[in-house]
Amino acid sequence: MIENYILFFQRSPLSSLSVFVTLIPLTILWLRKAYSNEAFRLLFVYLIVKLVIDLTMFHFASRSQNTILYYNLNIILRYLLLSGMLFYSFQSEIFKKPLMIVGGLFVFFSVWDILHVNPVLSDLHNHAMVLYANTLESVLMIFWILMYFYETVQSMRTANILTFPFFWICSGLLLYYSANVFVAPVMHYANKWEGRFELGFLYQVPDLFEIICMLFVSLGAWFFSLHEHGQY
Amino acid sequence: MVNTENIQWAIFIAMLAMLMMAVFVIAFVIYYQKKQLEQEKKLREIEKNYQRMLLETALDSEESERRRIAQDLHDDIGTMLSLTKLSLNQLSKIMNKEESRTEFTFNKVQSLVEETILHVRRITRDLVPTTLEQFGLAAAIEDFVRKLGENNTLSVQFHCQPDAIPRQSQKVELTLYRIMQELVNNAIKHSQGNEIEIELLADKDKIQLLVSDNGRGFDLRAVRESKRAGLGLRSIESRLSVVDGVMQYHTLSVPGCRAGIQVPIERNRGKKPEPLHPFRRERSRVQDFPS
Repeated sequence: MIENYILFFQRSPLSSLSVFVTLIPLTILWLRKAYSNEAFRLLFVYLIVKLVIDLTMFHFASRSQNTILYYNLNIILRYLLLSGMLFYSFQSEIFKKPLMIVGGLFVFFSVWDILHVNPVLSDLHNHAMVLYANTLESVLMIFWILMYFYETVQSMRTANILTFPFFWICSGLLLYYSANVFVAPVMHYANKWEGRFELGFLYQVPDLFEIICMLFVSLGAWFFSLHEHGQY
Repeated sequence: MVNTENIQWAIFIAMLAMLMMAVFVIAFVIYYQKKQLEQEKKLREIEKNYQRMLLETALDSEESERRRIAQDLHDDIGTMLSLTKLSLNQLSKIMNKEESRTEFTFNKVQSLVEETILHVRRITRDLVPTTLEQFGLAAAIEDFVRKLGENNTLSVQFHCQPDAIPRQSQKVELTLYRIMQELVNNAIKHSQGNEIEIELLADKDKIQLLVSDNGRGFDLRAVRESKRAGLGLRSIESRLSVVDGVMQYHTLSVPGCRAGIQVPIERNRGKKPEPLHPFRRERSRVQDFPS
């Protein structure tokens, strides 16, 4: 089994690295006891969920099994947890309410998208990636992050934004979703056993930016202790 | 059929554009926040300067008013009292002194007039400390202490090496003098002690004024929170803010309390301080007037 893992690691180093890089922010958040804050707690839960799903995918991928079901599930969980994190980070009710409503609608849409591209759910071997949910998630997250930046700058809640944890976390997410927003629509066609669309070097983009995003999140988590918990 | 490579490049370019936008947004947030903070800082600085200017104006007006009252007292009431005294002296020469009752009443009036003259002089001196302008802070405090020493129930001591205290601008000297007055008055009124010690020190950077008493002390926080009781403290702090000074209170040492004032020494004293003496200034004006 370990040989399979090593072989997969050698075959897809970037994808493998994106799995284990999650341990860095997770450890920092744990050491900083950041889970005492609601927003950071959701980020912490998201990182745990991400690590579990990624490890499961890593395990099955090393055995050349279809792992897209987990990826599709990850989209819903990722959006819910990260938008929940932003929900607690927003100060204004103007953003909180739409965020909640959009969250609910997104879950319905994603479930519909999964069922739409996979009429036979039990056929896990041919399970396909969602068509629109991934793109929609990117667009929505970019929008919320921009709104968060707007609110942060307007309210001047921090004296130095470079030591403000959520600035780094949101910057990482913004880069990740910006890179993903144009790649996501073709992922459905690229992740197929047969007749797949060749993405070439673009196939590595989500993994690469996932690593960058995790490093930014780690930086944000590192700055957590410098701020008072109640500030967010 | 569409070339896959072309689609790849199209996606790559779109992705690159999106990433550039994201990087631009992040950079803009950093820049804008920094700029906004700078503006906020500038605004706060302007507000602080404005408050300081208002305070300075208020204190200046207070001093001007004191000077005006002192001048009125000296020029009008003082002159009239002196004339009354002169008239009384002349009257004493022509008055029939054989009648003892008349003489008694006359002497009483004369002593009352003299006492009133002394009172007017004292009030005038208190309003405008002429010694301060002429001989500096140490001499003015010494003068103040000497007058307080006339009260037998209170022991006031002043320690200072007058040569070690450099002359400062009128604003600084007057501020320190008024604060000293306020602290001593507070000690007399509230401390219930019988010993007050004033110390005036200076090093190359600052002038230090220490006022301590052996009274019952006080709770600094309670006084600060009290609207009426904290008025004196706030007045001292306001005066100090105008000359960039700081104050420290040591109230926990039983008995009494110790107040320390620090004011930075002015390296380059600007213009010569405006004369405080209301009378001399008035005379010089009259002299300057073309005949």
